[in-house]
Amino acid sequence: MDDVSFDVHDGQIKAVIGPNGAGKSTLFNVMTAFDRPDAGSVLFDGDEVTGKRPHLIVRSGIARTFQNTQLFEDMTARENVMAGAHAVTKAGFFASALRLPWTVQEERDVAEEAARLLRLVGLGEWTNTPAADMPHGLRRLLEIARALAARPRVLLLDEPAAGLNMAETVALAEALYRIRDEGTTIVVVEHDMGLVMEVSDEIVVLDRGRKIAEGPPRLIQKDPVVIAAYLGEEEADEL
Amino acid sequence: MVKRPDIRLIAIVAIALVAVFALPMLTSERYLLRVFTFVGVNVIIITGMALLFGYAGQVSLGHAAFYGIGAYASAFAVLTLGWPWVAGVALALVLTAVGGLLLALPSLRLKGHYLAMATLGFGEIMKVVFVEARPVTGGPDGLSGIPYPTLGPLEFDTAGTAYWLVWGVAAVALLLAYNVVRSRAGRAMRALHGSELGATACGIDITGVKVRVFVISAALAGLAGALYAHVVGFVSPSTFSLHVSVLLVAMAVLGGTGSLAGPVIATVILTLIPYSDAVIPGLSRTALETIQEWQEDIYGLTIIAVMLFVPGGIGSLIRRIFPERGDAG
Repeated sequence: MDDVSFDVHDGQIKAVIGPNGAGKSTLFNVMTAFDRPDAGSVLFDGDEVTGKRPHLIVRSGIARTFQNTQLFEDMTARENVMAGAHAVTKAGFFASALRLPWTVQEERDVAEEAARLLRLVGLGEWTNTPAADMPHGLRRLLEIARALAARPRVLLLDEPAAGLNMAETVALAEALYRIRDEGTTIVVVEHDMGLVMEVSDEIVVLDRGRKIAEGPPRLIQKDPVVIAAYLGEEEADEL
Repeated sequence: MVKRPDIRLIAIVAIALVAVFALPMLTSERYLLRVFTFVGVNVIIITGMALLFGYAGQVSLGHAAFYGIGAYASAFAVLTLGWPWVAGVALALVLTAVGGLLLALPSLRLKGHYLAMATLGFGEIMKVVFVEARPVTGGPDGLSGIPYPTLGPLEFDTAGTAYWLVWGVAAVALLLAYNVVRSRAGRAMRALHGSELGATACGIDITGVKVRVFVISAALAGLAGALYAHVVGFVSPSTFSLHVSVLLVAMAVLGGTGSLAGPVIATVILTLIPYSDAVIPGLSRTALETIQEWQEDIYGLTIIAVMLFVPGGIGSLIRRIFPERGDAG
């Protein structure tokens, strides 16, 4: 990565695109402190993200999904989403062991919220299914629901459409609209140009670790620099 | 989880509880009660191992050392310092919890199997300490004449009352563990076992959770030791050897992951193997000796067989009977 900077506005869906190796996933990993930048910093809401321990990032309002889904396979869809609420709940070992009344209430609230989020992404029917038994496309939606359980202000999605068929991609796009309409800002790294052009309000184009363009989908589609960067890449036909 | 209680589950737990606590009234045979008291002591240790291995996915090869620290600490406090038994238990809990913390902090920060190696080394070191620290541990001969557990005016000086005390503690430990595994803390353990990246993204401090579980499991082993020493009245280094640590791992593996009931059942089975004559009337002396001779091979084969044929252990068999109820106590 080399000197990439862009702003994300509240309530937007912002896409980050670029040819393979452009540094999209690295960007996400740096933004969520899973990787450390060699230089520079990530600011969120004026706060420094760089150098924080990664499990603390979600507490500052940034939740993420992974290119290779990182679900808890033995846990049901509901339990996965409830685990996602870890950062916004408090019951520790001691309080839970004693079943203090407030932990029982917290547990009830988290279960209700999990049910709501599963419905929001369209997984209401899968509540009690272990993640391992869910079809690929739905697993990505489950990971999104889990990320939402942390009540993030910004949701980072790392290639959510990878490996999805047409119908699943449509379901994903619908879920993204519903999430945005609830006021959550979404930043999505994606290869699927159809999805990107359709859902995003703004697009950032990366190439070899640098930002080469930024703007609304219509302008990006016509940008000669972007087209040049994609020449020889399979996405060229899709643009 | 917010779920309606399962009637079948409640019935089974109730029957098990009644059966466990009624045993001293049904039999007055001291040997049988002694053997089942050992089972209860092991159930207390395995409750911690089930959390550590079965839920958080961490392997410890040194829990016999914490068991031993608890036993010697409490025995020394009561025998030599003249403390009441409860204070001995408190000392056992504090020492094992602090010991667990000091061992877990450096080894759990690193990725990989450092905890297994660190605990293995710790177990071997403590074995030497138990033998060499004669003023405290009595050396290779151990400590004998350890008084029965007392709680104020209550004295647990018969096989039956000692049995009740041990199983009472075991039941409370299991209940608390059951509450934990159904809670946010329980999900955090299962989550980091499932995917450390995913757990981190959820805001789970994976090192912090692992260290906590390890400390809890160490303290439970210490508590079991403090009960064992006073119920048996005698402790020696061989009771807390590597072989016991391996037996505990065998119980946890056979019991299966994500379950408390599985490891408890596994503990009952594996603890009874060398005492088969207590539960099988008329078992010949030669048969018993053969079983005892092959005991360790049976444990080893059990681990291999479970890994090959039932990777989920007894816990996964229970889950087939009670879908979505695998975390049952």
